[in-house]
Amino acid sequence: MIEAIGLVKQYGDHIAVDHLNFTVEKGQILGFLGPNGAGKSTTMNMLTGYISATEGTILVNGYDMLEEPELAKKSIGYLPEQPPVYPDMTVEEYLQFVTELKKVPRKEREAEVDRVIGMTQLEPMRNRLIQHLSKGYRQRVGIAQALVGNPEVIILDEPTVGLDPKQIIEIRDLMKGLAKEHTVLLSSHIMQEISAVCDHIMIISHGKLVLSGTPEELQQKANQGINLEIEALGTKEQVVQVLCSVADGLDIEEIAGEKEGSVAVRIKSTEDSREALFGAFAKAKLPLIKLVRNTKTLEDIFLEATSDTWTLAEDEDEKSGTFADETVVGEQEEKEESTDVSDL
Amino acid sequence: MLAIYKKELRAYFNSLIGWLFLAFFLAFVGVYVYLYNMRQGYSYIGYALSSINFVFILLVPMVSMRIVAEEKRQKTDQLLLTAPISIWKIVLGKYLAMVTLTGIGMLSICVYPLILARFGIVNFGMSYTAILGLFMVSCAYLAIGLFISSLTESQAFAAVMTFIVVLLTCLADGIANLIPPTAKAAWITYSVLWILISVWMWRVMKNATVGLLVFAIGESILSVVYLLKGTLLEGTVENVLGSLAILNVYGQTIGGVFELRMPVYYLSIAFVFCFLTYQNIRKRRYS
Repeated sequence: MIEAIGLVKQYGDHIAVDHLNFTVEKGQILGFLGPNGAGKSTTMNMLTGYISATEGTILVNGYDMLEEPELAKKSIGYLPEQPPVYPDMTVEEYLQFVTELKKVPRKEREAEVDRVIGMTQLEPMRNRLIQHLSKGYRQRVGIAQALVGNPEVIILDEPTVGLDPKQIIEIRDLMKGLAKEHTVLLSSHIMQEISAVCDHIMIISHGKLVLSGTPEELQQKANQGINLEIEALGTKEQVVQVLCSVADGLDIEEIAGEKEGSVAVRIKSTEDSREALFGAFAKAKLPLIKLVRNTKTLEDIFLEATSDTWTLAEDEDEKSGTFADETVVGEQEEKEESTDVSDL
Repeated sequence: MLAIYKKELRAYFNSLIGWLFLAFFLAFVGVYVYLYNMRQGYSYIGYALSSINFVFILLVPMVSMRIVAEEKRQKTDQLLLTAPISIWKIVLGKYLAMVTLTGIGMLSICVYPLILARFGIVNFGMSYTAILGLFMVSCAYLAIGLFISSLTESQAFAAVMTFIVVLLTCLADGIANLIPPTAKAAWITYSVLWILISVWMWRVMKNATVGLLVFAIGESILSVVYLLKGTLLEGTVENVLGSLAILNVYGQTIGGVFELRMPVYYLSIAFVFCFLTYQNIRKRRYS
């Protein structure tokens, strides 16, 4: 349905989108996920023909955006970041104008306006001037506009921004409903948003595709192996000794902190060795105060995939201070966690 | 195209602008027809029309300032440019809406020759040619206004720029008379212009060396021409300014000479600026 091959957008020296390749199949809901400034809107603007790509090809419904723009655009409904509405028109006038613009046959225009108003539940606002509508309603008018003409592909740039929780759920349901007959591409910088609706996720960062797959695939990819978190009373040496004695295939990822006589360790292993660990620590008379198997959430995956600046900084720390105290790492970890909490 | 045309026309009459434009235009023409034709007893409406060129200075920016600039500011250009419609049709729809608005004004003043005919003998051919001429001039100016509006996101900036450009075309003849037709005057004028262009290049390219280089090359060529063959420059400033005074062709029409040259001239200007607008919108997709 949509095919992007080697998409590049360059502004002067700045590369906003860097060799992006992807395909969206019919009936799919594809979620574009990335932090602010990752190139989501730029990519969408290219896909819809608003701006042209510096390099690369875009095929929509089989039509090349560069060579047959009118045919390609005819199969797309687009809601840009800011709904493209005229404040001095009423909702009905505006949608009427859009039906004309999108070349809906004259006889069907009225029915089409009714249809999209019904789908986005704008009936009570029908005769209001758009400048008097709240942000949420404007957003809905923007979505209604994208649905006009029943295009095969619907591209929505952050469709739920500015909506209240109830409206968000309504819009999500609407998008799920659309996916039965349409191909939907939507962007967001919120993982929950995407994972609630989409059946395929693409995470981009700095204009590059960093991860792509169904939510299940991503989860699997991130949770390869088993991650255990252990905290035991004792010294670091004792704990490490016990861990080494347990089994092979055990990989100590991080010794995260040593405080008040206890040591926290994160390990990775190929099999679930919690039972063996419990036994070993009991035998060594080191009381286990924590033994948890961690699974990464999609949110973690997203943060990990897009936090290249964070990892870069960490790498540099490691290089500059080889003898860095491990407790510092632990503190950093805690800080990261606490910011996560406040984000939520 | 029809969708855009209808939308723009509706926007003029839904807001004050369309009504204000018609009110001003009809008031100006009405007052001048009263003063020149009714009171002085001339039956030819051209006398009145030839004196109201200055209305364009005010009315053209009023009509054209928001036509493209506002779409960009509101980001509604995203709707238009992603719709299955070519950029040419967008430009043409907008342009024709502006032309229609002024056309309504022009049609309204077509009653004056009929009224004047009640009091004497009116040469209808000449009178309506004069009105047609005025309409053609406005077509040219509106295209210039359209182009300027497509250069910016700010209505105010578009209005001011259009105002200055239209004013310049009205005053070009007067300015030309101020500058003596000598080679030295031409050399000074071109040098000043070249300095401005160089400064502009420097600001746009953000590179002082390029600006200086452009200035040095241009200025040395200019000076060499001036020193070796000064006669080449004589009177050129006048000619250049004269070609900016696009109202002159209309002036001849008012004088009672109808040539096909007149509509062809103004419609060519209109076409050129519509084309530039089209190119400018197209170019924006690439930058």
